[in-house]
Amino acid sequence: MATKPLIQARQVIKNYDDFRAVDGVDFTVQPGECFGFLGPNGAGKSTLMKMIYCCSPRGGGELSIFGQDPDKSPAQIKNRMGVVAQTDNLDEDVNVTQNLQIYGGYFGIPRKTLNEKIQELLAFMALEAKATAGIRELSGGMKRRLVIARALLNDPDLIILDEPTTGLDPQVRHLIWAKMRELKAKGVTILLTTHYMEEAHELCDRLLVMDKGKVLAMGKPDELVKNNLPAYVLELPGIKKEEVPLTGTLQVELHGDKLFVFAAAPSELEKVALQFKGQLRIRTTGLEDLFLKLTGRDLHESE
Amino acid sequence: MNPNNPRPVPGFFRLVGAVWYRHYRVYQNHFTTNSFPTVIEPLILMLSFGWGLAQVVGNSMGGLDYLSFIAPAQAMMAAVYTSAFDESYGTYFRMMVDHNYDAMLSTPVSVSEVFWGELLYTGTKGAFFSAVVVAVLSCFGIIHSFWAVLVPVVGFFTAIAFGSLGLFAARLVKNINQFNFFISGIISPLILFSGTFFSLERMPAGPALVAKVLPLYYFIDVSRMLTTGHFTDDLYIAIPYMVTVPLVMGFFAVRNMKAKLVQ
Repeated sequence: MATKPLIQARQVIKNYDDFRAVDGVDFTVQPGECFGFLGPNGAGKSTLMKMIYCCSPRGGGELSIFGQDPDKSPAQIKNRMGVVAQTDNLDEDVNVTQNLQIYGGYFGIPRKTLNEKIQELLAFMALEAKATAGIRELSGGMKRRLVIARALLNDPDLIILDEPTTGLDPQVRHLIWAKMRELKAKGVTILLTTHYMEEAHELCDRLLVMDKGKVLAMGKPDELVKNNLPAYVLELPGIKKEEVPLTGTLQVELHGDKLFVFAAAPSELEKVALQFKGQLRIRTTGLEDLFLKLTGRDLHESE
Repeated sequence: MNPNNPRPVPGFFRLVGAVWYRHYRVYQNHFTTNSFPTVIEPLILMLSFGWGLAQVVGNSMGGLDYLSFIAPAQAMMAAVYTSAFDESYGTYFRMMVDHNYDAMLSTPVSVSEVFWGELLYTGTKGAFFSAVVVAVLSCFGIIHSFWAVLVPVVGFFTAIAFGSLGLFAARLVKNINQFNFFISGIISPLILFSGTFFSLERMPAGPALVAKVLPLYYFIDVSRMLTTGHFTDDLYIAIPYMVTVPLVMGFFAVRNMKAKLVQ
């Protein structure tokens, strides 16, 4: 691609005392892309996000955002960025509009422009009716939408969303996804961490799967699945690995109490399914299967 | 969404102002509740000491009647309490519970701007509350000079000094209970041994010297000159001390918070 990458990370490292949270991560994000980070809790995703929004200096490697070094020009970088952190860190003692007015001040947005922008964003996030509501009166979904609206005050070129829809109901989640797609259509670059494979699939052009601070896989969601897993899977609850004879392209993975049998063709799985009557469910493989395959084993080992 | 003409990054003072405004706006709602002790405590103290201790003490504190002697100290105590609490408990909650700093720091605001903004705000409160105390006490006829209108300036610097101490405490504590060490171990002794309720001449020379070096003595000393109109040569030490010490303390307090928040 001819365009200059918006984010470029080469061998990025982050140490906390003797714990290495991010361990030599490489990736680039192109302008206009929606780039997702997947990984179990403690994989280093949030730390990486913090390094990108200049709140955590890196321990090694190279990192540039908008072609600038976060150690040297944090204010310049953050000026063009909108951040939605994991916690709703709103000012609880003032109302919705005042929250946005205060935050707009941090970008030095002139009062008149700011007030117009606030009206626009309240409408955009469907919060107009709550303009003068107190923060404690808002539901979890409304708070989240407000935090997102707040992150858009400065017309950012890049939005960072750290688990934006965790704990929200499906309606709000779909609303947020729709808004993210609208922003993307306007050319805004989006960086996202999530635990929801559906969300990753809905929004992300490319994904990076990480665990224990390292990159496990990276690519377009469908290609990632295709390159790492056979096309079909059969789920067998309560069946042990030894009970399935590994013939043809068959592969097995055990997650929790469920055995996942993978194969290139459904016909192979049908044969296995016949063996365990009444429990068969054959489907195409997806991101969740990939995620479990890449990160699940480690979880078992550490438990 | 306009990469060719990005909005310029706001300068240091603009951002400090934005943080100041945040605190002003957010804590305005609790203004009445927080002002109550500032107004009521000097009144109670006046009544209590006026009926009791003042009559025993007479004019033994540098020739002043006792209520006139402690009046300026009360204005400074108001500044000390508001700033020490705001920047210790308040900072701790903003940092660990409400995550307000995370929100600020993901904008062009940096750690220095966050905490200089806070110190400026706490200074403003210190100025305001010491003004309130002077106004209240003037009704008792124990403010003797027009110079007293400058007491809020001293209150401003006092609050920055004690706000900085509060920031150090907020950085060091592992949980809020440990603030007891800060309040009872540092703030209370500073208040009691800084020429607040008795003249330092009555203390042994060594401890008196220590008390003079520590923050608060000179702030009270200057305030007393302003409320009595009786100026001494101390002024030449007190004025530079009053301006420099809070700024130096603030500088180190802010630097200290940087180490805590940027990890």
